[in-house]
Amino acid sequence: MARLAPWLMGAALSLLPVAAIAQDAPRDVRIGYLSLDYDARYDEKLVYLGLVLDPLTPPVPGARMGVEDLKILADAAGFSATLDEQKAADVAGLVARVQEMAAAGERFIIVDLPADVLDQVAAATRDLKVTLLNTTAHEDFLRERCYPNLLHTAASDRQLADALVQLLRVRNWTNVLVLFGQNPRDKVLADVFTASAQRLRLNVVDTRQVTQSTDSESMEQNNTLLVTGGVDYDVIYIADTQGDYARYLPYATQLPRPVIGSTGLEAAEWNWTWERDGASQVISRFDRLTGDLHMDGPDWAAWVAAKSVMTAYGKSRKTDPDEIDAWMRGARFGVDGSKGVLMSFRPWDGQMRMPITLSTADAVIEAAPLDGFEHQVTTLDTLGTDQPEFVCK
Amino acid sequence: MTTRRQLLQGAALVGAAPLLPRPAYAAGTGNIFVSLEKGNEVVVLDRTYAQIKRIATSKRPRDMHFNQDRTQLFVACGDDDAIDIIDVNTLEVVDSVVTGPSPEVFAFSPDYKTIWVSNEEYSQLEAIDLESRVSIAQIPTGAEPEGVIVSEDGKTVYVTSEVADMVHVVDVASGAVIKNILVGTRPRRFIFTPDGKQLWVSCELSSEIFIIDRATNEIVGDSLFFVPPGFKPEDVTPVGMAVTRDGSKILLSLGRANHVAVIDGTTHEVIKYILVGRRAWSVDLSPDESVAIVSNGLSDDITVIDMASLEPTQTIPVGRVPHTVMIDG
Repeated sequence: MARLAPWLMGAALSLLPVAAIAQDAPRDVRIGYLSLDYDARYDEKLVYLGLVLDPLTPPVPGARMGVEDLKILADAAGFSATLDEQKAADVAGLVARVQEMAAAGERFIIVDLPADVLDQVAAATRDLKVTLLNTTAHEDFLRERCYPNLLHTAASDRQLADALVQLLRVRNWTNVLVLFGQNPRDKVLADVFTASAQRLRLNVVDTRQVTQSTDSESMEQNNTLLVTGGVDYDVIYIADTQGDYARYLPYATQLPRPVIGSTGLEAAEWNWTWERDGASQVISRFDRLTGDLHMDGPDWAAWVAAKSVMTAYGKSRKTDPDEIDAWMRGARFGVDGSKGVLMSFRPWDGQMRMPITLSTADAVIEAAPLDGFEHQVTTLDTLGTDQPEFVCK
Repeated sequence: MTTRRQLLQGAALVGAAPLLPRPAYAAGTGNIFVSLEKGNEVVVLDRTYAQIKRIATSKRPRDMHFNQDRTQLFVACGDDDAIDIIDVNTLEVVDSVVTGPSPEVFAFSPDYKTIWVSNEEYSQLEAIDLESRVSIAQIPTGAEPEGVIVSEDGKTVYVTSEVADMVHVVDVASGAVIKNILVGTRPRRFIFTPDGKQLWVSCELSSEIFIIDRATNEIVGDSLFFVPPGFKPEDVTPVGMAVTRDGSKILLSLGRANHVAVIDGTTHEVIKYILVGRRAWSVDLSPDESVAIVSNGLSDDITVIDMASLEPTQTIPVGRVPHTVMIDG
């Protein structure tokens, strides 16, 4: 790249923001980020013979990128944001961290915690003036708790299932074989998928549990030809959170059928191959920041959580943190997550409305909501639990 | 009475006759140039919309502009960090200007000696001296800068930052940003109104047009929304704009709403919504303003709009992801 002419160097490198709502000195805004010292979800997925599958990684770089991306908005709006990254060993420690952050004026805390832990932390801090943003727990029950202090930028299980089911409906692949693994979470996912499928009048031909054992006594479950035989269907849905059964499923089935769910076609908040809506620039910035091109769903959720908070501070024209929080949850709020639409939080369950990517290993095949699914207010509400049917539990 | 379509069909037949000599073109060829972002080429159509040539360019060609005497067409090629130069006469790439990373949109200074170009993945606006090919200024912007426009006196440059939702006002003499104007979400492109008073900015994701008073660099009035019947505001993603020389009509492509809005330049009311192809992107008016052509990024074609009747007259397949259309009247 050509060099800068020296006499312009100083002038060109100086950025003189003149803001519409500037303060004299920038306000200090601290945004919390909280995770566990040890989170089993980030164990390397070691499978047979030490082979490491593509691991999940803590999404904190996404949050850092969100703060960095909107630094210029902060400059213009007269504040300076820092991400205060903290960890703790257990629920008690996490609750203590939240209390400390709240006392330090951190009105928003981005959290990367497993669902059962987050459930307890949110319950214990519900009376604090703090809003937690959930970036990695998809479980529906967390949304149904209706915690006043909890918002979600991670997609919910139901949003992800609804996205897959929309595709099947549009393709008319109406007969589905549902398989689920040994982990209790697998059954939960299979049930959510089945409920979504029934809502759109798909036909679940059978639901079968699978196992990896080669024990001949459990052949009905572990022999893939048997497990996928004896019945006809258009597509197989597999819920296998460990991943080691699912990855062997495609092309091993009795019938020639596509596989969706934990392998094959997967639903997520984001895929690293998303090319539209400015996504390639986002992925490229993420790669420059982390050396990792494979920005995934959790990274995106953390990025959007940070962007949401920065946008709220920068655009709400409010200085009172409670008013900023209310604005962020309100109808005037919209954040650009590079998925082609402005996204906002649903008032009834705190879930961020979003398009869901449906992708293979190397391409986004579709983004839900698919064409043809209509809604009175916004088509994004065809994914996940809509207001009339939502019940706090 | 011969309809326009019959005239065009007649002209196409004539043009196809192999013995007719091709005139030696300088300016005003009547040719239409379309950059194909994924095809890595510029396709050239003649005034009958027949394809004459496909010119291979550097990778990811997007924004295009003619030079002062319209003998050359400059094409920003984002994945090769270059602006290719096509000879309008021979329809070949004859030169290439090295730019900063990922050039997206650019504008010439009034004397055509400097190119101002947004470097999309590098968060900067750069100025390149055309004669020496040296990058003489690099101005930091918010992330994903896109639209660039230079004032008629060459003293001010405006550039958008898509991520920061801002218009940066750059003072050329000092090489510094003198003002940031917060607009809607994902601001993309600019036009000046011909009376020199207003700058219009399209904000793709908040579906609105902001109007900025150039004397004060302040937003004036409410932002404008254009929603074709049957669409919700969030379906409308406005990007490209063009304005007639007398300022009476502004054309606005509505992105995912697959229409072009024709707007009254005085009242700012919509005159008509014109159905075009999928994801209407850039729109260009012919120099005689008899037609406008819009690129349809997701149906790989362009739509021709007759400006007298404000009707779409034809849609022509061009190739992979058309980005910018330039009509050499």
